[in-house]
Amino acid sequence: MSNERPHRGGYRKRYNREDHDHDRRREPVETPEQKIRTSIIKMGEVDPLQEIPRLAQQIREQVPVVVPAISEGFRIGVTEQPYKIPYYAALLRLLHDQVEGDTNGAPSSTSSSLGKQILEDFWKGFQAFLDKLAWREIRLCIQFFAHLMAAKVISVQSMVYLLQAFSTVLDEFGVSYSRGKRAALCAAEGLMIAGAPLKTVSASSVAGIINAIQMYNESIVTSKFLIQPMMSLCSDATSLDNADELLDTALILLKSLEASNFAESSPAFPRPYLEYPDPENTTSGPFELPSILVPPEVIELDGLATDAGEDAQIKKEDWPEYYLHLFDNTITPDPTTLPGFIVRSNLLDIIDIFEVNRKECARLLLEYPKWNIPGTFKPQPGAPAAEEGLGGKDWQLESTIIETILGSLFILPDPSAKSVYQISLITELCKLSPSTVGPAVGKSIRKLYNALSDGLDTEIARRFAEWFAVHMSNFGFQWVWKEWLPDLALTEQHPKRAFMRRALEFEMRLSYHDRILKTLPEPMQLDPTVISDQAPGPDFEYDEPTHPHHDAAQSVLNLLRGRSKADEVMSHLDSLRDTLEISDTHMNIDTLIRFIAVQSLLSIGSRSFSHLLNAIERYLPLLRGLANGGIVGAGSGSSEAKQDILSAAAAFWKRNRQMVNIVFDKLMQYQIVDPTDVVAWTFTNVAGDSHLSGMRPLSLSAFEWDLLKGALDKANGRVMISRRKVAALRKEEDDTIARAKASGGADVASMEVDADAKPDETPAVESPALVTALKAFTSLTREQKAALSRTLEGFVSCLAPSVSDMHQNPHAGKVITQDAWDGRANWNADEWNAWETWGWYRHYCRVYSPYLRNYATTLSTVAFAKIEGSTEPPAELMKKIWNITTGQES
Amino acid sequence: MAHVVQALDQPSNYKDSQARVDRSKQNELLSRSTTLYIGNLSFYTTEEQIYELFTKCASPEDGGGIKRIIMGLDRNTRTPCGFCFVEYYTHAEALASMRYVSGTKLDERIIRCDLDLGYKEGRQFGRGKSGGQVRDEHRQDYDPGRGGWGAQAQRLEIERRREVEERYADATEGPGAVAGGGEDWKETEVPGEVTHKRGRSPEDEGDNTRLGHRSRIDDIEAERM
Repeated sequence: MSNERPHRGGYRKRYNREDHDHDRRREPVETPEQKIRTSIIKMGEVDPLQEIPRLAQQIREQVPVVVPAISEGFRIGVTEQPYKIPYYAALLRLLHDQVEGDTNGAPSSTSSSLGKQILEDFWKGFQAFLDKLAWREIRLCIQFFAHLMAAKVISVQSMVYLLQAFSTVLDEFGVSYSRGKRAALCAAEGLMIAGAPLKTVSASSVAGIINAIQMYNESIVTSKFLIQPMMSLCSDATSLDNADELLDTALILLKSLEASNFAESSPAFPRPYLEYPDPENTTSGPFELPSILVPPEVIELDGLATDAGEDAQIKKEDWPEYYLHLFDNTITPDPTTLPGFIVRSNLLDIIDIFEVNRKECARLLLEYPKWNIPGTFKPQPGAPAAEEGLGGKDWQLESTIIETILGSLFILPDPSAKSVYQISLITELCKLSPSTVGPAVGKSIRKLYNALSDGLDTEIARRFAEWFAVHMSNFGFQWVWKEWLPDLALTEQHPKRAFMRRALEFEMRLSYHDRILKTLPEPMQLDPTVISDQAPGPDFEYDEPTHPHHDAAQSVLNLLRGRSKADEVMSHLDSLRDTLEISDTHMNIDTLIRFIAVQSLLSIGSRSFSHLLNAIERYLPLLRGLANGGIVGAGSGSSEAKQDILSAAAAFWKRNRQMVNIVFDKLMQYQIVDPTDVVAWTFTNVAGDSHLSGMRPLSLSAFEWDLLKGALDKANGRVMISRRKVAALRKEEDDTIARAKASGGADVASMEVDADAKPDETPAVESPALVTALKAFTSLTREQKAALSRTLEGFVSCLAPSVSDMHQNPHAGKVITQDAWDGRANWNADEWNAWETWGWYRHYCRVYSPYLRNYATTLSTVAFAKIEGSTEPPAELMKKIWNITTGQES
Repeated sequence: MAHVVQALDQPSNYKDSQARVDRSKQNELLSRSTTLYIGNLSFYTTEEQIYELFTKCASPEDGGGIKRIIMGLDRNTRTPCGFCFVEYYTHAEALASMRYVSGTKLDERIIRCDLDLGYKEGRQFGRGKSGGQVRDEHRQDYDPGRGGWGAQAQRLEIERRREVEERYADATEGPGAVAGGGEDWKETEVPGEVTHKRGRSPEDEGDNTRLGHRSRIDDIEAERM
């Protein structure tokens, strides 16, 4: 290693060789089967309509015809490129025809057409998706079947049975929403594509399916209250002006289609197969889809419960999906129309499928119009105008794409992928076509910004700020802030003002204070409610030589800087306690010592995240001692000590909230404090002078929410790790037993007795490792429950306080009425704060509902004790939201 | 889902010259790696900026999060030289960064992520002749100061440079120079349990396996040397 040069040379040579190896591996010679499969997958890249007959010919000319390779090509094509489904249906339609001389090279195909053989094999793949309950694949296969039915390749009656198999799911007792929603969509999209012939053959079945979806949709109506993108606390209305719910929309559309006998004024989507003459089904008839049963969901129970016997396994449930509308229906598709619904369904599937490669996804999205009827989207400038009378919809592609991506980014309670995926996807789109995507992004930002005044959900507002900041970070922070100058007149807690502040704070975290400051017009630069006037540095309280405890703090700092041992620092703190006790302070002496110690430690760790970690690790015993109340103030409890540690840290980083998040996170990681301590701290400090958001009466902003979320996620994450550990150990144990049993024959002496005694092979004693893991699991679920419970209590004290509570927010009850909401233009900061707090309560309930449901009884008994019998509106609303969350309100 | 497009979360062809594991062993390690190499950083980019971006791929509810960030330093000057390691708690988070963050901008530069075998002592320093990264020595283009916005701000440049230059002046070498970032939760009170007699308590299992494979690599390396 000391001899750098020769070594380096050798390395490069090796590197190159391996590189070649790798390339060779990547380009294997394709077998004829692979070639045909690839041709099918790549079909239509240039001109689908021309390619279909050519490809059909190519497939037929294959000798021998290998059906599995062909059907695999179809399976991949259909489930991974949904925009090509109509064209794949056309291809299969051509292959379905008996061709004269077909018997030539394919002796096996004499009895049935090649198309049928492919379908038979394709069906096996569909059955496999069904067995796995791979819902997206199932739904896309159904789209394919529906097109094939319209192409007269598949029999109408068997299609009816297939769709009915999915609407039957909706009648299952206790069907989960995830399952119900997906099954309903399968049936709905099948009907949309093939409704006309279906209705001709069996109008009653069509009506039956629609009715089943409607009944189901009505049964889940209450949950919509929690996930509407525009928060309305006073109204139960489920339909919104500027958003639509997926299943609601599907129903509206199906009903209008049914009423008009599925007639379309103009073609809604491509059906290339209609150009071909009807298939000669005389010889063998159309393909009959075998009947199916949608298999039940299998939940693997690990049987782990909390010490109170509650089920601790979480079941993530879907919620209804609302999509925001940012643009007028002439600019982007109206999802209650057939083409509008199908376009959105396609785009959402593309976004979902190509999550593995956002760059390709962006390219495919921009190429999407070519799979549509000309005239669906407005042609690009310079391209020949669409022929008259074709589609004539002329939607704006980029606005449609951005609206759909943002729609999926803003799904509540969680987007399907990490939100940074949608953010990066939009970045890629802007990079590919800045001149067309850029304006669509700008317009979307303005629309969303305006929606902030009308109740845009608090969590969506947070995601919006995050997207804005990351997006701007990728494009030179160029935003015309000037246009929002008039909004400086709004109260500083107005959602628009909160957005500006938050977006700028997120931008600064990714960049520099002075860099971001320069992007602002002067009035904003000078307004500390928009952006802080100085860089967000640390704030060591005792830094000023004039501070009464400057010398004391300096002495601690010097010890830490000199890397003194932890116990030396501890004994110094003890002696400091004695000296300082004499001088008077209005602060509790133990608290003071903790503040000095923690802030000194953070001070030596303030240079960077790594410095922080190093400082914590070097002085872990010191921190643990402080946290236990052990070093100082043996009398005061440890929970008080932990609150002091958190307060000291929050004060040290009061100008940098990112660092407060980071320090709290690592204090939990190193087990100095527990998640419940952080939750408790957050709720006790959301009022009073130390409140970092400067919000006086009890209320929460996005910053406090981030702290709560950090703590709750930590508690939940630990249970998750612990659960996996138990499962792994159990499996290990089972394997050992299985091995022992297998070798039992040989090892007669030791095994035989056992085998006779215990046929169910449960070990009498669990291994010490498993015992410990189970014990840890019990502790961690207890902590998890405590953190969730403390949060709920905190919200009760914020939103439905009892008369005796401190720092009551008088507006919590006021802002939930319709009258108050209508007069929101005159709301002051406290009123907006109260409204935002309701937003975070609603979000807490829906986002942690899988956990809350398990612990519903315990949590509500404790936390709602104070408001148990109350009929005050805020108490009632809290309970209503809670009951919807836990499934007790129907 | 990689029939139609190539997934972005595949590791590159990079082979660490100093990690003496063969290709298949390396692939196996990468397939569960929780560490990313991040390249093409500005010399001014801070760990907090890196933290802010990469925390967007973290899954704390699944037991994840950013474990630590190790800034790549010039061996001689102890100043950042344009790369770092980000270590998560879970493999899925590293993959998410490959898919969503690699190729986007941080501090106005397009950064590149690659799955990494994991930090080992000494890797925080550049291995180039000058003290920086080897790959920078092969660069033909001039990249002044490797500045993000940090280098462009004329008025504040000197101040900022001084800060950056001093930030890691205390960086040390050797075991324990780099913090661990905090391990999985452990029971804190162990009131005289039998486990101690065995010199290794069962609740350390997870950590031991982690250390275990690290020391296995060391063994392999020792054998080859």
